[in-house]
Amino acid sequence: MKKIIICEHIEKSFGEGNEKRNVLDGVSVEINEGEFVSIMGPSGSGKSTLMYAVSGMDSIDSGKVSFEGKNLSTLREKELADIRRTEMGFVFQQPTMLKNLNILDNIILPSIRDNRKSATKITEKARVLMEKVGIGELEKRDITQVSGGQLQRAGICRALISNPKIIFGDEPTGALNSKSAQEIMDIISEINTEGTAVMLVTHDAKIAARTERILFMCDGKIVSEMRFKKYNGSDIDDRMKKVTAKMRELGI
Amino acid sequence: MYYKIIRNDISKSKLITLTTTIFIAAAAMLVTLSAILVVNLSGAIDSLMKQAKTPHFLQMHSGDIDTVRLKDFAEKNSHVDEFQVLEFLNIDSAKIVIDRNSLADNVQDNGFSTQSEKFDYLLDLDGNIINVSDGEIYVPVGYFKDGTAKVGDKVVIDEKKFTVAGFLRDSQMNSLLASSKRFLVSENDYAEIKDYGSTEYLIEFRLKDLSEIGTFEAAYTSAGLEVNGPTITYPLFKMLNAISDGLMIAVILLVSVLVVAIAFMCIRFTLLAKIEDDYREIGVMKAIGLRVSDIKKLYLAKYTVIAAVGSTLGFALSFLFRGMLLENIRLYMGESENSSIAIIFGIIGMLLVFLAIIAYVSKVLKRFRKISAAEAIRFGALQEKSAGAKRFCLSRNRLLHTNIFLGVKDVLARKGLYATMLAVLVISTFIIIVPQNLSNTISSKSFITYMGIGNSDIRIDIQQTDHISKKAAEIIRTLEHDSTISKHTLLTTKSFKAKTENGSEERIKIELGDHSIFPVEYSKGRAPVKEDEIALSAINADELGKKVGDGMTLVIDGKENKLTVSGIYSDISNGGKTAKAVFPDHSADIMWCVIYAKLSDKSLAADKTSEYANKFNFAKISGIDEYITQTFGSTISSVDKASTAAIIIALIITILITILFMKLLIAKDRYPIAVMKAFGFTNSDIMAQYMSRAVFVLIIGIILGTFLANTLGEVLAGAVISSFGASSFHFAVNPLTAYLLSPLMMISSVLIATIIGTSGAGKIKISEHIKE
Ligand SMILES: Nc1ncnc2c1ncn2[C@@H]1O[C@H](COP(=O)(O)OP(=O)(O)OP(=O)(O)O)[C@@H](O)[C@H]1O
Ligand SMILES: [Mg+2]
Repeated sequence: MKKIIICEHIEKSFGEGNEKRNVLDGVSVEINEGEFVSIMGPSGSGKSTLMYAVSGMDSIDSGKVSFEGKNLSTLREKELADIRRTEMGFVFQQPTMLKNLNILDNIILPSIRDNRKSATKITEKARVLMEKVGIGELEKRDITQVSGGQLQRAGICRALISNPKIIFGDEPTGALNSKSAQEIMDIISEINTEGTAVMLVTHDAKIAARTERILFMCDGKIVSEMRFKKYNGSDIDDRMKKVTAKMRELGI
Repeated sequence: MYYKIIRNDISKSKLITLTTTIFIAAAAMLVTLSAILVVNLSGAIDSLMKQAKTPHFLQMHSGDIDTVRLKDFAEKNSHVDEFQVLEFLNIDSAKIVIDRNSLADNVQDNGFSTQSEKFDYLLDLDGNIINVSDGEIYVPVGYFKDGTAKVGDKVVIDEKKFTVAGFLRDSQMNSLLASSKRFLVSENDYAEIKDYGSTEYLIEFRLKDLSEIGTFEAAYTSAGLEVNGPTITYPLFKMLNAISDGLMIAVILLVSVLVVAIAFMCIRFTLLAKIEDDYREIGVMKAIGLRVSDIKKLYLAKYTVIAAVGSTLGFALSFLFRGMLLENIRLYMGESENSSIAIIFGIIGMLLVFLAIIAYVSKVLKRFRKISAAEAIRFGALQEKSAGAKRFCLSRNRLLHTNIFLGVKDVLARKGLYATMLAVLVISTFIIIVPQNLSNTISSKSFITYMGIGNSDIRIDIQQTDHISKKAAEIIRTLEHDSTISKHTLLTTKSFKAKTENGSEERIKIELGDHSIFPVEYSKGRAPVKEDEIALSAINADELGKKVGDGMTLVIDGKENKLTVSGIYSDISNGGKTAKAVFPDHSADIMWCVIYAKLSDKSLAADKTSEYANKFNFAKISGIDEYITQTFGSTISSVDKASTAAIIIALIITILITILFMKLLIAKDRYPIAVMKAFGFTNSDIMAQYMSRAVFVLIIGIILGTFLANTLGEVLAGAVISSFGASSFHFAVNPLTAYLLSPLMMISSVLIATIIGTSGAGKIKISEHIKE
């Protein structure tokens, strides 16, 4: 299996002097191509920080993050941006959309920056994606004119628009009710089966149980790991039981 | 509590608070200054004219004079308080040598006088009536200002030598726009030099009641007394004295209006941005039952402090510049009586600025009423809806680069916010272009055609001499044989009687000849071409109540002739009261002749001028360029200076405001910037988007500003120019500077300012703004 992300011993701290706290305390993770990984842990344990570090959105104090063999800390701001735009996709807990643009424009924004000439093709692709996640008829709407779940689906379309190698999701279903959450997970799982790696931060055992590998974080360290076979929709109850047991054991 | 809120607020937005304070201070300073200057100028003019006892009515006259008849008229006329006839010895400027330099190039009619006995005194620089001794000469203060003469210099007139004993203020002829200048010498010396020149008479009256001046003027005309020369009345003297400093004050006032407008824009922008930020809080305050007026007070308090500090600062600053600006008034007119009143007016000006700011802030804060508590809490942000922006979609965009598209889209989506920046840029463009166009217009040669003077290369004046027509014919013969002269014309001015509506008669000076060769600018109608046509100067048309097409009766050679008014033009020469016609006449006396000539090669002008000056020493020969520089020279140079200053000020304003707005925008837009960065937009992408916003707004601003400058600006400048006597006015635009250089300067300033203003965008951390 080819690895797309290799983190070696990364450390990151916030604050100065006495206030200084290590938020990431020597974390090492590897993610394979097409893998479906989730991260669980109590609030403040450093999950989001890890995700920002791995995707090059935030700098680290020491250690090394390689994405497809490139050491992120040696890259310039432009090159990091290029990687994020072309090889990574992001879905956040809150819908992060630009107020000025309508749903369709928000979705195509990252991709159209480089390929204005093929705008027709990109727009077509966005329409297909929107159809697929069930918001086909909303493209002209403003972001204030749709529901939270619909906006989150639009966010997934945006993450997928430039065929990324990996999608990062920081609690993408956190603000949704459980029915919508499961629908979003269905979409993400489907994307994963088509070959895109996914790294998902979640508090929800039912969500985590659908992934291949669960990393448990506590106080800036990965304290435990759990592996499953690829989810096929059958043994969810069994997997969930294992996850909740582990969570209880770790005190999460 | 207010103190704490204000302090927090100010420390959070130091830059914008500082800038707003500076603009308020500048506005207060300018308004205070113009108030002080207006009061001082009018006070100084009044005291000068009071001390000098300026005549209420002046008739200049050359030729024979019947003093007995004049005296008789003065005694019989019940309005007359005092009467005198002064002599003015007109000496060819070339014969006047000050400190070894002759005044040959000077276009003023320089002449000599003795101190008068009853009124119209010539004053020294302390405002006292000068008592001049033999061998001494007092020189017009204008020649002190331009450095032509200083105390102790030797002045030689033909062979007679004088020493400059001091300088004089002449309540009649101080202004450069008054074409004559009086030097003061003693009675004995005057008698000695009398043969060197020709004598002109100043027939002067002071009336018991100044308001009767119209009746008196009519009485003088109908009495058939001496009229061979211009007539000037007290109000015109006053205007001539006021004009150059008055113009300066007008410019300062105009600039202060613009600065106030910019201060308003700063306030509007900050307040709108702040309201947008505080939208949810304002909603909550409303929801928990605070009154709108209570909430308003919180915001108003800060601006009360800023406005108070700014206006006080401006008032203090005005003391620094007062001396400098009052210098000219003090030199030409002396100290004003009411300088203490001036301070009071200054304070009133400052208070006006303060109140205007407070009123404006209150007005902007009216928006609070529109905020619905429920909506504010639910949506948390003002929903600005603009139909135009909605149709402008990224998915349909093929033309613009994505960054440019996003920039333009943002401007369209938040029009209210950018309107403020637009207004400032429009004002800046306006400030850059109007003075530039004005300066270009008045220094262009064709400008003199607005002033009633044909556009030629050489102007030859023959006046105050006898056998005018013979001498003129001699010059014309020479011109005809001179191959370098491409065209020329002779215009002869004579005085005729015109019948007015109510049957009375009035004297009117008519310039006869071919007016199509060197046409002047007609504000209405056209030049006279047929023998029964006449064109009137604007002032004459006004006084006679004539419009184009009206009939007019002239008495020529004892017979009444009907003429039609063919056109109306502006004129500043000869008190602005002139007329033009083409009919031949041999009856009336010639008052003066003017010959205009155009050269086939302009560069010969200087040579030709001196050649003719040597050949025809009875005529005054001036190159038109020289004529322009000396008549409008000081005006042109002050407008030039003003226009350079305006460009610098406008660019500084543009840069400052753009930096400020960009910084504020970046602060407001932290979240969308973080989002874009998360999705792979680079810092230079963000910069490009902000530049597109700025340039997009700027382009609209330049277009609007240029349009306004050429419409409203032209009207404004025309209003200023018309105070010189010109009535129709069009800008002579230099397209290179107005449409290329100026916009380029603006664009580079805005781009530099945007780069500085948006440099903070690079430091925005994604992780800090997309909190999970
Ligand atoms: N910019 C910052 N400055 C200082 N401390 C920070 C900053 N960002 C995060 N932290 C601290 O780092 C720790 C880890 O934060 P992080 O956002 O990674 O937690 P998390 O695991 O994602 O929590 P949650 O589940 O609540 O999202 C927290 O204690 C937080 O207070
Ligand atoms: Mg988090």
